[in-house]
Amino acid sequence: MLQDIALGLLTSDVAAVTGSARLIVDIAMYFGLFVIVAMALNFQYGNAGIPNMGCAVQVIVGGFTVSALTTRLLFTMVEASGLQLQPWATDYDWTYNNPANVKIANDYIQTNAMFGWSMLLFSLAVSVILGAVIGWIIALPAIRLRATYLMIVLITMADASQIFGRNIPAISGGTLGMFIPNVFAWYSGDRTVLTAVIALLIGLVSFFIFRTMLNSPYGRLMRAIRENEVTVGSVGKNVVGIRRNILMFASGVTALSGTLLAFYFSFVVEANYQRAFWTYWPWLMLILGGPGNNAGTFLGCALIVAMRRVIIVNKWFLQEIFFFPVAYFESVLLGLLLILVIMFRPNGLIPEKLLYIPGINYTMMVREEVEVDWRGTTTVQRGFSSGIKGIFNVLGGKKTTKKEDE
Amino acid sequence: MLIPAIWLAALVFASELTLLSIGFTLTYLTAKIPNFAHGTYAGVGIYVSYTFAKIWHLSPYYGFPVAFVLGGIFSVIIYKLIIGVLTNMGGGAIVLTISTLAIQIFLTALIQIYAYYLRDRFSTYAMMFLLREDDFEFAGFPGIFLVSLTLTVSLVLLLHYMLTRTKIGVAMRATAEDPELASVLGININQIQLFSWFLTGGLACLAGAMIPLWFQSSPQSGAAIITSIMAGSLLGGFDSIYGSVIGGAIVGMSEILLTTWGQAFIGVWVGEWRPIVPMIFLVAVLLIEPRGLQGVWSNFAATQTGENFRKAVGLLKEE
Repeated sequence: MLQDIALGLLTSDVAAVTGSARLIVDIAMYFGLFVIVAMALNFQYGNAGIPNMGCAVQVIVGGFTVSALTTRLLFTMVEASGLQLQPWATDYDWTYNNPANVKIANDYIQTNAMFGWSMLLFSLAVSVILGAVIGWIIALPAIRLRATYLMIVLITMADASQIFGRNIPAISGGTLGMFIPNVFAWYSGDRTVLTAVIALLIGLVSFFIFRTMLNSPYGRLMRAIRENEVTVGSVGKNVVGIRRNILMFASGVTALSGTLLAFYFSFVVEANYQRAFWTYWPWLMLILGGPGNNAGTFLGCALIVAMRRVIIVNKWFLQEIFFFPVAYFESVLLGLLLILVIMFRPNGLIPEKLLYIPGINYTMMVREEVEVDWRGTTTVQRGFSSGIKGIFNVLGGKKTTKKEDE
Repeated sequence: MLIPAIWLAALVFASELTLLSIGFTLTYLTAKIPNFAHGTYAGVGIYVSYTFAKIWHLSPYYGFPVAFVLGGIFSVIIYKLIIGVLTNMGGGAIVLTISTLAIQIFLTALIQIYAYYLRDRFSTYAMMFLLREDDFEFAGFPGIFLVSLTLTVSLVLLLHYMLTRTKIGVAMRATAEDPELASVLGININQIQLFSWFLTGGLACLAGAMIPLWFQSSPQSGAAIITSIMAGSLLGGFDSIYGSVIGGAIVGMSEILLTTWGQAFIGVWVGEWRPIVPMIFLVAVLLIEPRGLQGVWSNFAATQTGENFRKAVGLLKEE
């Protein structure tokens, strides 16, 4: 099985990845995509307490970046190189000549690997920037208000983004959708395996970025905002600005996932970026794994993605059990799992850990019940130095035994 | 016909949305959460009407009381099993809101399964339908226009009477204001909560039962209407029942009128953008005055002109 995947990665045999090897590639791809979304969500909700219900908007921005910007740039550059494309200026031509144009562009990329790579990097970079911009825009009405207002606005924005995609053919071909050029056309093996590897790599990199940010003073600031924003504001921090920055940064990272999905399918249509799919499933992963904890997000993501893909692949076997389509069963499962996890495992599978702060071993302070006999420091030993020593004992986590005089 | 069909449609939709917005606001007042499953109760009502009209071949109007009771029971079950339990566990507003989203997903799936079952078993168009042919006509007006308008107006008046004159209404307001203080005064908070959840669910389901008599309905239309409900409630101020009556009516009217006029004067493509209208309301209200009409009114009342106006109308007694 693993040999098959390696074969698909290394050789020119396109049909090498079949059967359960195909399922593994599929699960790896979706794990990579969802882990990016869920980790960004964990960054926002788990650590800063921002309930971002608009992940779907940010993901769709990634997809639209590829279909509206990368494809146009690519066509322009292909035409500049001397190849003749079909007309693509008007909405009609853009949608209906799209397959033919994509074919020509793919032939061009086949001989120019560097061009393919640069287009991939261009889409990733632009989607990060656009995602951050969209994060700023959608947060504008409600970032100052209560969390529930923000949830309402972001959920409706997810619907709005789909309506925009559906009704403006220049973005992604409207309801028909559109093909996008295969930036891996130069690669003779299976494109999907390469996309999965890139998605997993980006997931890993973003994990390290998020981890570094959380363990920095900024991470502690985020947790402080989550716990009590009034206190943080009272010590002179701009709470609204920090929340907006966090939302923008996480939005940019989330948009990467949409870009990768577009390259995985080689196709963009707004129906691929539904609210239920890209908002509710990541939330379930986050809550199942445990908010405020990247390991939990990984676990929740792996469990849910594997379950979903196995159900989808074995759909026809399951169909015989149910009298209704399995697609409805998926919604039932999503709703039920969310409610059950919230009610019975509110802290998730892996509970939240304290942040790592170099130099201070404050976990030990919290874990061991440090008891200080203040009477001893004030009555028996009246000296200044002993009082200081007692405070240092507390900070260092040393256990001072109570005097047995009772 | 005396009134153009656009205005009929706008008034029907406005009255339905008013009922839904009132229920949404009541839930927000008592539980302090936006109930995303509120639109899905309307989905239940839609299929009560459908079952009466197409499966049992009765008038869909017989389904209205059934819808009210059924919606209330659904709502009470949800409160008893999930919302109440989570509140006692100490879940915050965000967790409770996510749980209502989960309920919305679950209930919508159940409605879809029911619709699929009806289509499979009775070979009817249960997935996308319109019940206008089952409606009656009175004095040149379609029945649903008269029924929805009278029902909404009388229910609003009844609710006003209940909240200001009866004991249970005053107890509801007290519970919404401060639950602890209310319980000190001897109000059974649990009973009041159950009653208000029953009322909101019932009103939403009743409004839902009216929808398919004029508008095309599908299993998802209950979940889709939630944006309009939230816009109406937010325009009214989110914690004012009288505000939500006006807000729901304004959003409902403008959603129909703006799209129809847009189609007539700008182009047919405007019709596709109908779901954007409540979103524009939502964003505009949050940007201009987050407290909605309630905030506008209280700002106006605080000024000298507002005081004079209130004296003239009789809202403010001279000392």
